[in-house]
Amino acid sequence: MEIFGIWLAAFLTLSIYSFLYRDNPFYRFAEYLFIGISVGYYIVIYIHQGFIPFAWEPFWAAVKPFWPGIPREAGWIGLIKLIPIALGLLFFGGLSPRHTWLIRYPSAVLVGFGSGISIPLMLQTFIFEQTRGTVEPFAAINAGTLSPWGIIEAVLMLIGVACTLTYFFFSVEHRGPVKWLSKVGIAFLMIGFGAAFGNTVMGRVALLIQRVDFLLNDWIGMIIGWLGTIF
Amino acid sequence: MKRQVPLVLCFLFGVGIILTRFSPHPYSQFFYEEVNSWVLIITPFALVLATVTLIRAHVTRIRRRTEYWQYSFIVFAGIITMVVIGVPYGPQHFVFEWLFNNIQVPMDATMFSLLAFFIASAAYRAFRARSFEATLLLVTAIIVMLGNVPVGDLIWSETSSVKQWILNNPNLSARRGIILGVSLGVISQSIRIILGIERSYLGGGD
Repeated sequence: MEIFGIWLAAFLTLSIYSFLYRDNPFYRFAEYLFIGISVGYYIVIYIHQGFIPFAWEPFWAAVKPFWPGIPREAGWIGLIKLIPIALGLLFFGGLSPRHTWLIRYPSAVLVGFGSGISIPLMLQTFIFEQTRGTVEPFAAINAGTLSPWGIIEAVLMLIGVACTLTYFFFSVEHRGPVKWLSKVGIAFLMIGFGAAFGNTVMGRVALLIQRVDFLLNDWIGMIIGWLGTIF
Repeated sequence: MKRQVPLVLCFLFGVGIILTRFSPHPYSQFFYEEVNSWVLIITPFALVLATVTLIRAHVTRIRRRTEYWQYSFIVFAGIITMVVIGVPYGPQHFVFEWLFNNIQVPMDATMFSLLAFFIASAAYRAFRARSFEATLLLVTAIIVMLGNVPVGDLIWSETSSVKQWILNNPNLSARRGIILGVSLGVISQSIRIILGIERSYLGGGD
């Protein structure tokens, strides 16, 4: 089973890399298989880690007290869980063109919840914390505990954040001093994009090295080992 | 009925959740936890709809005999194999894990590693230092790439230190600027959604 797994993984890896030459049936086979297997995997994960614990079990807990022969422990309060289950079932309205509008109800609840939660979350996590991180070193400067190099870094950070924000500030025309501030902002953004690009390239190359290592050591190494035992 | 009720629902849930974040009262916390569990209950149903939509799209491809329609059977084979094993026996079943480890994981890693080749060709076009900004991007990317591998420190012993300084200072300040801008955008968009000014999530039609 393990040997078959290595051969299968090697075949699929080479099938995907064959796209580097050009589009071909091996690549298309691997591509469509990848879609199918991934969708199947996430269906199973959502059923076992999403649907059963968050939809089926609350539903069963809600209706169980009203099942014949079972004592009514939870009472009527458990039935409140039937509301989100009913809202979730409205998603199936999307399967019929005449009833697509039913999707709006569960969507509205999800969008309303998402919007409501994101306002305090964004304020607390990003705006307050990031602003605090930017201006906090100036308290150390005031206390005289920051080194000269630390002061330069703190000032550079403040200039970078202010100029980057200026670049994204479209309520005033970018002319005169604003234009120069936004130009400095572009320079900081380019450094940020360069760093992101460098890290992304290295991440992808690490994956490539891992796949080549698999092909050379696990797959070809296994074949050489086999040949060694035969001859 | 078709548009007004969802708008009211969105407003009530949005405002309700905002208020719970500013009130430690037990009723407020109960409301927050109850709505949070509602969202966890509703979300899996959306996945069912997404799966059905995918299956319908591939059935249509097969029915209309569009280009490469035969490959849609492979999609179905993949879905059915995983579901038939995974749903009744759970994701811990050894066959399910074998399929995951020997098909999905290698293909996932290979697909992403394929991007290394395309990034190389994109880099050739992007890294032509024709302006000051492009030169900054080029120099930063080279320093970060060299700073991530041992050969960088062999070329110049301070490469990884310079890379770390770039990441911690100019890179972080640009990221903070972007994060602050994005956060302000998300907040304003959320307010627009809650107040019913932004209605694109309702889709078209009446």
